[in-house]
Amino acid sequence: MADVVVIGVGNRMMGDDAVGPIVIDRLAGRLPESVALVESVGDATHLLDTWRDARLTVVVDAVVSGGVPGSVHRIDGKAGFPSSWRSASTHLIGVVEAIDLGGAVDMMPDELVVYGIEIGTVGPGVELAPEIEAAADEVVELVVEEMAESGIGYPVLGSR
Amino acid sequence: MTNAREISVEYLARVEGEGSMRVKVVDDKIEEVEFSIFEPPRFFEAFMRGRPHTEAPDITARICGICPVAYQMSAVHAMEDAFDVTVGGSLRELRRLLYCGEWIESHALHIYLLHAPDFLGYESGIHMAADHREVVEQGLRLKKAGNSIVGLVGGREIHPINVRVGGFYRVPTKRELESLVSELEWARDAAAATIRFVSGFTFPEADMDFEFVSLSHPDEYPFNEGRIVSNKGLDLAISEYNDYFVEQHVERSNALHSQIRERGAYHVGPLARYANNFEKLTPFAQEMALEAGLGTTVDNPFKSIVVRAVEVLYAVEESLRIIDSWVQPTEAYVAYTAVEGEGHGATEAPRGLLYHRYRIHDDGRIADAQIVPPTAQNQLTIESDLRFVLEGHLHLPDDELSWVLEQSIRNYDPCISCATHFLDLTVERG
Repeated sequence: MADVVVIGVGNRMMGDDAVGPIVIDRLAGRLPESVALVESVGDATHLLDTWRDARLTVVVDAVVSGGVPGSVHRIDGKAGFPSSWRSASTHLIGVVEAIDLGGAVDMMPDELVVYGIEIGTVGPGVELAPEIEAAADEVVELVVEEMAESGIGYPVLGSR
Repeated sequence: MTNAREISVEYLARVEGEGSMRVKVVDDKIEEVEFSIFEPPRFFEAFMRGRPHTEAPDITARICGICPVAYQMSAVHAMEDAFDVTVGGSLRELRRLLYCGEWIESHALHIYLLHAPDFLGYESGIHMAADHREVVEQGLRLKKAGNSIVGLVGGREIHPINVRVGGFYRVPTKRELESLVSELEWARDAAAATIRFVSGFTFPEADMDFEFVSLSHPDEYPFNEGRIVSNKGLDLAISEYNDYFVEQHVERSNALHSQIRERGAYHVGPLARYANNFEKLTPFAQEMALEAGLGTTVDNPFKSIVVRAVEVLYAVEESLRIIDSWVQPTEAYVAYTAVEGEGHGATEAPRGLLYHRYRIHDDGRIADAQIVPPTAQNQLTIESDLRFVLEGHLHLPDDELSWVLEQSIRNYDPCISCATHFLDLTVERG
């Protein structure tokens, strides 16, 4: 797996839970090709395999922590989460559990940043609420900036 | 004075309707037992109306993140039934291989990270990892062996995209398949070790009188094809599903409950497949099952974890057999013409029988869809198990009672099972 990975967690058929994969769609072409863009349903074991050898991993996921829908959290994934903060994935052991498990079995990237986009309740559907649409665009820009600040945002001429 | 105990467990409380368990006991008498699940298929059934039939495998694959292959397989078989297409030879074998991958990953996840912690007294797989790191690592590696099959044959590990009506978009090369062999050989030993490991657990007593419903095929342990049979005499073609089974509204719940017409609850999943097809397992899997102390039928739902482990061993051995004998086909799919009609498909998802029915317009669009997932079929059986377990454990304090009730729900590996590990629990006493 790549040195730098961006993972969008969510289910495209579950309304606002699709926001992670949609951010991944919108990042296409915005980052150097060396950055892997990965869609995930949030299965912890898939996350561990995706990020275990990476230097930097950015995870984008929907969260429900009681905040205003559309607000964006940025969390250092290796520093721990607020106890109220949980993945809103509708299935599987989610991102928070993957981080705990990865710590226990030593399968963590060097650096892990999690962008949590606050959503309301999750239900079947194929459209994002307007405030979640806007938050998706905001996170796309934040991830591009994040990469630039890490020295990853500017592709070197001659390299791929 | 009345002494009322109410235990209600809402999985992922913030996600509406995800699934919940509620039991109410008054003066040591069980007044209410309700297990309800989230039912996304209704949305998907409606969403597919009017869309091209070719989209059904990819759309339905999104119903469940852990068993997308099962949804794809039931969808394509139903379409092929409608269009009178037969997929045989190497393409059929490749579908079985893909399904093996899904069983391995799904069962390994459930055994190691979700169900074993119940038996070993850990709140979750993560807590278990602290004391049993090598066990959890073995489970993760076993799951990854399954992921690798799904990744290669299905096109990617998560939401595989390579399955189409008639076959595949692209078939792998023989050499690509052979790259899986060495890890699968490791997985065969790991699966055998898993059977030994889980068969050493202590199992609550429960000898249930289940009607086991599964596919049965004359030559193979069932994945994609066969007749629907039960240990109590059912034997029907997949196309007759709706003649024998019915989804009914139960007054206390919004959800539809599947029943055998005029007969009631039934059981789908590993225990059912095992009971109806024991002799179709590989000789080694049969031997390991008997060595683990299982009979050829297992009536104790708590022992489903052992049967899952036996099925992992079977799936690993079946994968190795398929890869060894596989001949790369010249075409990736069987060409067909979409015609107006109706088709039925039922395949064995890791959790049990998954039935799809579609009616197709003459232009190939979907007129009508019906999806019956395994967890919906097991719902009544899960409730009756909860009642049974409750009766035998009323003496326990609420937290221990809740533990054994959740454990008995996880016997079925319901789609919501993972969520049950970070549930919010409320106990009310009258």
